[in-house]
Amino acid sequence: MDASVLKQKDSRWAMILILGLLVTGVWDALFLNKPALRFVVSGFFNTICVALLVVVFTLIFAWIVTLVLNYLESHNRRASYMLVTFLLNTIRSVPQVVGILFGYIAVGIMLQNGIIRGALPVFPLLAVSISVFVFIEFVDLMRERIAHYKKLDFYNAMQVCGISESRIINIDILWKNSRIHIFNKLISVFGAAIFLQCSVDFIISVGLSTDVNATALPATMGSMLANIDSKQDVLAIGYALTHPLYVGNLFFEHLQGLTVAFLIVFLLVCTFHIANGYAQRHRL
Amino acid sequence: MKTKLAEHFFSVVFVTVLLLLLLFVVRSSSNAVINKEKARLSAYGDLGFVDFKDSFHKALLKDVINAYYPDQYDTNAVIVNEILASREKEFSEKIQKSYIEEKLSGAKILQLCGMYVKFLLVYIVVMLLTYYGVQTLGVYRFVRKKQMLLQRKKSLLFRSKTAMKAIGTTAAYFVLFSPAYVIAYSIRTEFNTDTIIFMALLGVISNGLLVTYMNKFFAFLTAESRKGYIDTAIVKNLNNAYGQHEKGGISYAEIFRPFKTFDGHVFDHIYKNARYQYLSTVKEQASFLISGLIIIEMALNIHGHLSYELLRQLLYKNYDIVIVIVLFIFYTVKGTEVFVDLLINREEKKYENK
Repeated sequence: MDASVLKQKDSRWAMILILGLLVTGVWDALFLNKPALRFVVSGFFNTICVALLVVVFTLIFAWIVTLVLNYLESHNRRASYMLVTFLLNTIRSVPQVVGILFGYIAVGIMLQNGIIRGALPVFPLLAVSISVFVFIEFVDLMRERIAHYKKLDFYNAMQVCGISESRIINIDILWKNSRIHIFNKLISVFGAAIFLQCSVDFIISVGLSTDVNATALPATMGSMLANIDSKQDVLAIGYALTHPLYVGNLFFEHLQGLTVAFLIVFLLVCTFHIANGYAQRHRL
Repeated sequence: MKTKLAEHFFSVVFVTVLLLLLLFVVRSSSNAVINKEKARLSAYGDLGFVDFKDSFHKALLKDVINAYYPDQYDTNAVIVNEILASREKEFSEKIQKSYIEEKLSGAKILQLCGMYVKFLLVYIVVMLLTYYGVQTLGVYRFVRKKQMLLQRKKSLLFRSKTAMKAIGTTAAYFVLFSPAYVIAYSIRTEFNTDTIIFMALLGVISNGLLVTYMNKFFAFLTAESRKGYIDTAIVKNLNNAYGQHEKGGISYAEIFRPFKTFDGHVFDHIYKNARYQYLSTVKEQASFLISGLIIIEMALNIHGHLSYELLRQLLYKNYDIVIVIVLFIFYTVKGTEVFVDLLINREEKKYENK
């Protein structure tokens, strides 16, 4: 491997992420019992799957809303513009976790009442309920980029040349000149999606398991951590802090909870460093 | 500023009206279900005097209904059974829900207000601590980076120090990025994690809040330090020494003091301009912090706290109380937004001659 790749923070942390996941996977394959291993693997992939869907939905929502706001602003539809801005700001004022919690409850109730069946529509619905409370920051970024480029000469020059406004905004501003910023933000959205998803799943599994059937929702790392076995494993860390000789046992006897807790934190740390490194490399 | 305040006002009115309407709908729908059930049985008159445990009373009721509606003995038997089943259901539901069903009363609102005050107290403390922490850590990291540039990089001591520091920083990142429930469960066997102090501490150090915003503040400092006016100031001989033991350097006391000023130093201008930009992210930080506190209270099941109460009432389907708690949380975010906007407005007047 080219050593210069590892000198860049984002590439280095991407490698650390892959290696960390591989080492954890091999260790678990050797020492974790098979049912628990299957449980952990499915939870991990479900979490990643929902987080990736959140990234996709966030991008779609943000792009559409940005275009709508830009259209309303440039065509002097002041009332409609203010209404959309007002609604966006109102969503912004709802703490993400509260909004997502209600979204998850709605999906759980739909599942229980048979309105939706199977895991296939559940993943996108969960992702949508997270995206709704995450995409507004993305709209801000896209609008900042458009506003910045609108001040430059090339925007007017392109318009004079007869290039349509939608092409200038979609292709020249957002794609050609802002995709690095957008990609950087998408990495952060991925991290935020994992954090919010795990937290809401944990809360639902701990506090609402009789109201919203936790088994109806797909198992994610949050719900797995709330599982009694995992909780016992995490509690063992506290015991190891005051009984250092017990530390060795954690990696063999408490592997399920430890793996899940480690994966959540490790994913968050790596995502943060990758996004940070990417921003540094491109001087964002 | 007036437009912003008007928008906040309308937003508060809009959400309040929306949630109060929802409250009205929830109340009327639950009343409608009860009334429908009662209406069906009220066709047979007031049966309050009948003791359904007494078989004589039951037989008497059957005879009375048969006397009133002769020639439909089978239907009458079904009706009596229905009345009995309904009474039993009503009785068992009363017992089952006696400790979970709560109505929104004056006393309940007062209890919720107490919880809200507690929530606000923790929120304000954590917000102040993170506001200080973000700036202090950001400044510390920036100054340390400048100091590192002065050190001899190839020496073994420097390399071993850097390696140790990297290990320490990575360990710190793992703690700071851990969701609150992971940290709390990890130490629950050894410490009491249900206290307000622990909750506030957890709010500061967990969920990645401190690191994320410290990093933003550091980015503002770095971006500001690269601007032309800083170069001009340095060329014009403004103090630019960062070393701890250097004359005119920046000391730890200056970095860690709550109200930071670096008089006569070029960093004073970098810091003030970065702080001004940071103010616009405080709203976002506050919303993230409130999410974090809600996660802590809910995930750790901290009894007697607002968010735990929200979870409990959701579980027991007391939706009218849920609506009031959501409204309280919304007001907290809005209050913070208004406060930050006023603060930004004051700073704008100072820096942008508005």
